[in-house]
Amino acid sequence: MSTQDRNGTEHSRPRRPRPRRLHRLVAAAAGALALTAALATPLNPAPQQAEAKAEKTDKVLTVAVAQSVDSLSPFLATRLVSTSIGRLMYDYLTNYDPKDNHTIPGLATKWASSPDKLTWTYTIRSDSKWSDGQQATAEDAAWTFNKMMTDPGAATANGSFVTNFAKVTAPSPTQLVIQLKKPQATMTALDVPIVPEHIWSKAGDLSKFNNDKTFPIVGNGPFVLTDYKPDSYVRLKANKSFWRGAPKFDELVFRYYKDQDAAVAALRKGEVSFVAGSPSLTPAQAASLKGEQNIKVNDAPGRRFYALATNPGAQAKNGTHFGDGDPSLLDENVRHALFMAVDRKTLIDKVFQGHAVEGEGYIPPRFSTYFWKPSASQELAYDPGKAAQLLDQAGYKKNGDGKRVGKDGKPITYRLLCHATDPNDKAVGQYLKEWWGKLGIGVTLDCLDNVTDPWLAGKYDLAFDGWSVNPDPDFVLSIHTCAALPATPKDIGATDNFVCDKTYDKLYAQQLAEYDPAKRADIVKQMESRLYDLGYMNVMAYPNAVEAYRTDQIKSIETMPLSGGNIYGQDGYWSWWSAVPAASDGSSSDGLSGGAIAGIVIGGLVVIGAVVLFALRRRATAEDRE
Amino acid sequence: MASDVTSAPVEETAGPGAGTRSGYVRYVGGKLGGAVVSLLAVLVTGFFLFRLIPGDPVKTMTGGRPISTAQLAEYRREFGLDLPLWEQFTDYCGKALTGDLGTSYQFRAPVIDKISEALPNTLLLTGTAFVLYTALGMFLGTRSAWRHGSLSDRLNTGLALTLYSVPSFWLGLLLIIVFSVGVGPIPGLFPTGGMESGGKEGFAYVLDVAHHLVLPVVTLVAVEYGQTLLVTRSALLDEMGSDYLTTARAKGLRDDLVRRRHAVPNALLPTVTLVFVNLGRTVAGVILVETVFSWPGLGGLFYQALSVPDLPLVQGLFLFFAAAVIVMNTLADLVYPLLDPRVGR
Amino acid sequence: MTAPPVAQTGPRALARQRRRRSAARFWARYRTHRAGLVGLAALGLFALVALTAPLTVGSDVSSVTDAPGRPLESPSAQFPLGTDQFGRNLLGLVIWGARVSLLVGLLAAVLSVAIGAVVGITAGHFRGAYGTVLMRVTDWFLVMPTLVLAIALATVMSRSLGTVILAIGVTTWPTTARLVRAQTLAVESRPYIERARALGGGHWHVMSRHVLPNVMPLVLAQTTLMVSSSILAEATLAFLGLGDPTVVSWGGLLQDAREAGAVSAGDWWYLVPPGIAIAVVALAFTLCGRAVESVLNPRLGVAG
Repeated sequence: MSTQDRNGTEHSRPRRPRPRRLHRLVAAAAGALALTAALATPLNPAPQQAEAKAEKTDKVLTVAVAQSVDSLSPFLATRLVSTSIGRLMYDYLTNYDPKDNHTIPGLATKWASSPDKLTWTYTIRSDSKWSDGQQATAEDAAWTFNKMMTDPGAATANGSFVTNFAKVTAPSPTQLVIQLKKPQATMTALDVPIVPEHIWSKAGDLSKFNNDKTFPIVGNGPFVLTDYKPDSYVRLKANKSFWRGAPKFDELVFRYYKDQDAAVAALRKGEVSFVAGSPSLTPAQAASLKGEQNIKVNDAPGRRFYALATNPGAQAKNGTHFGDGDPSLLDENVRHALFMAVDRKTLIDKVFQGHAVEGEGYIPPRFSTYFWKPSASQELAYDPGKAAQLLDQAGYKKNGDGKRVGKDGKPITYRLLCHATDPNDKAVGQYLKEWWGKLGIGVTLDCLDNVTDPWLAGKYDLAFDGWSVNPDPDFVLSIHTCAALPATPKDIGATDNFVCDKTYDKLYAQQLAEYDPAKRADIVKQMESRLYDLGYMNVMAYPNAVEAYRTDQIKSIETMPLSGGNIYGQDGYWSWWSAVPAASDGSSSDGLSGGAIAGIVIGGLVVIGAVVLFALRRRATAEDRE
Repeated sequence: MASDVTSAPVEETAGPGAGTRSGYVRYVGGKLGGAVVSLLAVLVTGFFLFRLIPGDPVKTMTGGRPISTAQLAEYRREFGLDLPLWEQFTDYCGKALTGDLGTSYQFRAPVIDKISEALPNTLLLTGTAFVLYTALGMFLGTRSAWRHGSLSDRLNTGLALTLYSVPSFWLGLLLIIVFSVGVGPIPGLFPTGGMESGGKEGFAYVLDVAHHLVLPVVTLVAVEYGQTLLVTRSALLDEMGSDYLTTARAKGLRDDLVRRRHAVPNALLPTVTLVFVNLGRTVAGVILVETVFSWPGLGGLFYQALSVPDLPLVQGLFLFFAAAVIVMNTLADLVYPLLDPRVGR
Repeated sequence: MTAPPVAQTGPRALARQRRRRSAARFWARYRTHRAGLVGLAALGLFALVALTAPLTVGSDVSSVTDAPGRPLESPSAQFPLGTDQFGRNLLGLVIWGARVSLLVGLLAAVLSVAIGAVVGITAGHFRGAYGTVLMRVTDWFLVMPTLVLAIALATVMSRSLGTVILAIGVTTWPTTARLVRAQTLAVESRPYIERARALGGGHWHVMSRHVLPNVMPLVLAQTTLMVSSSILAEATLAFLGLGDPTVVSWGGLLQDAREAGAVSAGDWWYLVPPGIAIAVVALAFTLCGRAVESVLNPRLGVAG
């Protein structure tokens, strides 16, 4: 801003009194405000349907979410919130039992494979109708899969499930036949929403169609999506003719609270029935909610693992190495030493404050079929002394300043990639920095908004890694195979951490072709053991799912597993479908709450007060001094 | 983020000259031309600056999912990322001039749609806050100037300066704790965030939005009114020493008439200019307040878009913010000589 | 003051004496502004706290593995401000964070004013094409929403203090540039400049010997004001997650508090002190800056 440089107001000049200008300005400002207020209202798309207004007796389950929906099209959606909504709108071929994760019927009632393991036949049920009245048949399923096989746009989200499909046909409305190129044990875990052919065949370019133009969205799941406003809310109503039984709640609303504290406060006030947090409530939030009346905190085993990934030297399938991972990390002893210096117990205690379980094998304990833990002799227990010994033996000794020196004579410093948006990464990173500092190893904590780029380029030494595991662990296992590597350094592969080990790959191929569940589980456990010994991916913790809900709005709700698990983000629709409303009057926000009235009254008083003051001031006499 | 609580800004460059009509037209032409140049510069800067953000957006978007090379290539082609940089740029400029700002990577919706969805919400918030803090600032500023040196003047100025130094996001968080979550026996009166509680129509909807609007607006007003107050006050103090006011009083006019008809309107001019010129700080305030209160506006959208990086959306928002400021500044430049023919001596 | 001995050693010494006397006059006038004195006292206190921090709390206060307390304890005799989510002493952290916040604020302000002063002086001195282009660029920067630009810059570069200082400094210089240019134009219109040029003074001579000393007081005032907004800017960037996560700063503490869920838990001791510290320091710098400005330009007459 420039300084005042009015050159001389010393001489008087003719002046017209301009009270009107002032009034005009004020009027213009008021008009602008009124205009914007008026604009704001009609520009909000009114609920699209002549849907009967939610009656006061309707039971509504409101869920606080933060993640933006990337797309309502199951062909394009990859985010958890979108796929969760997809699970509610559309049925899958099969589902997972909430007790023990075994496969149970979904849209398909029966399934069998041919003796040569290459042909799978699914019997499609005849009591599933689309919400517009049409019957859901095997043709819809065949159309969905074929579209994904032929249209690259449609393969965006779930294309990996169909890469091994040779041919998909529907010989009858109740029979679906899928022919494979190679045996695939994951045929009982096809997490692909089946969409109605009669609607989607008219959708045009699937790579651009977001499924958000006409409401309600036609589907056959337990809920029907009736309204959607980006970053504001998603409304679903119960599908009363769902074949498994109608949900007990009449309406399900996902409401947006970008700020987690705001969501927790909304839960406290009864504005929402459920808060999941992203990824979970913080320990402080959970602690503050624990004692509250009418609020239950669900602190249960989670489905994620939280691991430390070490750069094994990024390479492509054609053998080209790229990236600049520190060569000292190629020594298994160094990797083991680093992990042995991590005090997992302290991390669980201080960082997760008890809301996590110490990490052991690759797959979290709640997937009991596949869970594996190392034996006492194999385990890399916390032992900083032994870690120092290992490093000495490996030839990385401390120099005069107490810093370990690499083979090139320079002190070792590792770059640790962390997600800037994950507070756990930042916290654990600080602990690692200090522990490894005591070992004599320097750490640069690189907290970035976007870790994908340096990761995919192999330009890191260590990184924080984590995945949600599905009841069928095939995906999290496949990302460490050599086949997942990028074809050339310029491509992107499916690989998670550039791990490529022949033994592991052999086992992977074996488990994929093994249809006997017990034998398959055994092979998977061998794979986990191999991964543990390799030391490129060691699990530090299994974070709990920490969620909370109001018991005066939700009487009961199914977790998954039933014995203790998460409610939001399940492999299935069990939670929302099974939720039973509490008996009391639905405290859904119909009509104005008392708070709103109070707020408006106060606001009105302030305005009146200001007007009165202003009016009084105008009557001031010449006693007012300057 | 410039601190402008001290001096009243005045148009520094030459004005149209003695208020002749043709002079004004030339002036307008010059200003408009300057605005166009600025807008083009913004376009260029926005495009290249955000290309610097590390991260291949396609890789980021698909990094968590297994994706075949063919799919990747398809993605790249779809978003035009396989073209050489220069071609991408000319493509972007051409489309921008017709109003097509590209398609958001995250939401797969046209950027212009995302912006127009969020714009009314931001306008509502900033518009209300603007009217309130300008009115409050001017009112208190004139009062302080008249009672220059008195206790109320000092209190007013002190409070204004203090609130101006408070970080807006911190104030927002405190307000949430006290008025939303509730402290001790005081219950939370206001919602914790968002713009609406959903499911309301008509007048109930308007009231609901108003209810949600209170805390964010209070935060913005508290942090911004101080500057208006101080500028009005200093401009008025300046004005009060003028000869013509002495003349008016000597003529026997009542004090407050003298104030209202003569002093205040003249002192308004720097305040009005300040308001336009200070839009940069307003944008900052909006981004922070929207983040803290989960208000579904442009600020929150901007921050979300940066983390992907959702290049089209980020560029579009950047262009929009800058264009808004340029437009307002140009408006101020055009309006100012109409209000004050002295400009241009 | 008695008259100094004439012609002690020559023009340099004379100039130094003159400057000392004007500094003394400046201080005498500054002393009359109560608000300015309050601000200065507060600044002195904070500077003292920051400088003695290594002695009073030591760098160990930021260690997570040696954290003395349980996470998020409320204030007690042992921890007057409670603990953060790692169990570290919050009072110690606030004191330790003063170093970073003040340092970043100062450096960013210095950078910003330095760029602004250079641009302003050269634009005012070299009229013509160069000056016009420079002013166009300045005006263009002025309309940029600074926070948006700063966020973009901070996202492009790695998360470190240097990035924050650079982001703030590079986005806030235009204000200073405009002011300095106006002052340069005013100074250069004075007759003795013409005389200096006639005597053969080149560009560098005029700018450094004549313009710069006359512009310095204005630059000083701007620096002080700029520090205030830089500190706020640093807090903002840290709050948005763009600061260095391993460094303790007030803005970073606020972000940690928010991420730990202190708002929901009602842990006011985590949220209030860093914010108060930011507000007090920013306010103190603003008061000083205003006092300096009114000393330099009594017409502004806003002493309060």
